[in-house]
Amino acid sequence: MGALDRISRNCCLVISAALFLCLSGCATQLAPPYDKLVVDGLNAANTETMTLFAVVSGGTRVGDYGARADKYATLVGKLDSLAISAGARPIPTNKVSETINQFLQNRGAPPIVEDAATPPSAHAIKKISETVAKMRDTDKKQGVTAIEVQAFKGQASIYFDQAITYENFLKR
Amino acid sequence: MALDISKLVTDMKDAASTVLMTDVSTFRGFSERQLEAIATQSAFVAAGIASGQITAETRDFFLDGIEDMTLSFAKTLRGLILVTIEKVWNAVVGVIWKAISTATGLALPVPSLG
Repeated sequence: MGALDRISRNCCLVISAALFLCLSGCATQLAPPYDKLVVDGLNAANTETMTLFAVVSGGTRVGDYGARADKYATLVGKLDSLAISAGARPIPTNKVSETINQFLQNRGAPPIVEDAATPPSAHAIKKISETVAKMRDTDKKQGVTAIEVQAFKGQASIYFDQAITYENFLKR
Repeated sequence: MALDISKLVTDMKDAASTVLMTDVSTFRGFSERQLEAIATQSAFVAAGIASGQITAETRDFFLDGIEDMTLSFAKTLRGLILVTIEKVWNAVVGVIWKAISTATGLALPVPSLG
């Protein structure tokens, strides 16, 4: 069974859980509210991060680090701030969470909301910050190769896609 | 006025389908993008390590990153699905409450997930 087939199967299970909930009449919140400030901040940070990768795409030398130090500090600061804002919307465990897990467990599927108290975007943004910080530290210590810059960019891009897709999806 | 069960079932299905058609398309697009990007990143890191262009200083960081971003992808997908559950709930309950209000003549407040 392919990954997408498994995802489709899990979607069907969860949608069935939603319909079950409708009939049970529960009322609760399952995801954080949409926050335009987080979305705007994320889009701006994405642009700034990709610009930094473009500037150093050919690799860096240790001697040039001073010219980039402020940019690294500003970017890491913005990303850390965004991660805090995105994570400051916890979703408490509630009866609906328990109902969904019970429904899935009865059908042999793993629980899906055991750690939903933190939005997934907060984790993704934190990892983007760590990626930029690691590039900064390597740049400062020994310079980064062009291939390393591409790998840092690839990693940051994947996390940005996760964070932006999730935050935009909250507009419901 | 009696509640038309057949029409209510059709309206509930329509309400759920409208949400699902859009959202499942988002799930599929997001999943395909992420799986392709993670596979590309894995191949790129492997080639970089083999050629020595990814140095000992960053090698473990990138390998750990691939593991974490895969788990993060799964958790993000789960988060998207939870949002869809909310939307389906709101859509279907809205239809049910509207039908009950019409049948009873009472202005019933629609329960909200928010």
